[in-house]
Amino acid sequence: MMTLTEADRPARDAALRTILPLVPEMGWSLRAIAAGLADAGMAQEDAEFLFPRGATSAIDAWLDLTDRQMAVAVGDLAGLRTPDRIRALVAARLRLAAPHKDALRQAMAMLALPWNAPLGLRTAARSASAIWHAAGDRSADFSWYTRRASLAAIYGATLAFWLRDGSEDIGPALDFLDRRLAGLARFGRCRKRVMERRAA
Amino acid sequence: MTETTGERRLPGDPTPRHLVERMIRVDHAGEYGAKRIYEGQLAVLGRTRWRPTLEHMKAQEQVHLDTFSRLIGERKVRPTALLPVWHVAGFALGAATALLGHRGAMACTVAVEEAIDEHYRAQDETLGDDEAELKAHIAQFRAEELEHRDIGLENEAELAPAYRLLSAAIKAGCKVAIRISERV
Repeated sequence: MMTLTEADRPARDAALRTILPLVPEMGWSLRAIAAGLADAGMAQEDAEFLFPRGATSAIDAWLDLTDRQMAVAVGDLAGLRTPDRIRALVAARLRLAAPHKDALRQAMAMLALPWNAPLGLRTAARSASAIWHAAGDRSADFSWYTRRASLAAIYGATLAFWLRDGSEDIGPALDFLDRRLAGLARFGRCRKRVMERRAA
Repeated sequence: MTETTGERRLPGDPTPRHLVERMIRVDHAGEYGAKRIYEGQLAVLGRTRWRPTLEHMKAQEQVHLDTFSRLIGERKVRPTALLPVWHVAGFALGAATALLGHRGAMACTVAVEEAIDEHYRAQDETLGDDEAELKAHIAQFRAEELEHRDIGLENEAELAPAYRLLSAAIKAGCKVAIRISERV
């Protein structure tokens, strides 16, 4: 497993800002990384330090950047209930990704390749964890896993919907997300009823 | 000694962040297991005169567990996936040793706490001064675990049936559990 070093984060973030606009045309490729570094005024040799695995490292770094930007962009969530917090955070992610929708589509295609599956799973887990952490979840029992699993499923479905959705804004995708969250709430109530009946 | 955590790390060794994550993960799992052991013992010995002693030790483990639970949330550490296993295994170990009588239960306490003491001592040595808070927690908890061991020894732990075998088996089990919980 190759993890990106935290010390290089600012340089990677800066490089990504110029790489991202090039991706729709050049794809997630070494060519796009090289051109992006040139646009940012950084040395070509940096490519191998910043993105040791080339395109997949760049995708990894971008998703990590989004995780951090999301938590900042969403602002104060103190007044909201948990499902509304999750909704606000996912909306913030989609808004951040909206200018780079095509780059996101291509990134998802890369992560869907079988040999990139470990990275795909790791980034999905990291994003789900970042959303829960930003939503104020501090669980330390097994629900840590179930929360992340259900969120990853819902967020993945929302992302797939949004990438297929041709409309200009993220409204339809958020409606889709609301229906999924409502479904999850119904499942939660159902489970609670069953547990209560069993306890009685 | 003014050294930071993982300062003498070699390429390929876990990064300081990974090291601390592992420590919090395994300590959380350990305190969870310890709490379950005392719960298992209380399920058997709950109506005997050992109750207050066991309650006291369980209460201390609960404080340790709460501390590591808080750290897991604060520092974005993944808890071990084996919590359901320790939930059952801890209770079973506590109940099984308690069924051998109070001496068996105390022998179990002594063996577990000795293994934990070694484990905490190793962590204490690994942690640098940049992790002063975690280090202080571990030092305090280690002292309390040693107190539990002494309670066990005072209560005839060494007179338990097959004490040496029991103690060796439990210690070996603890070490395996520690190794697995660091990673999984």
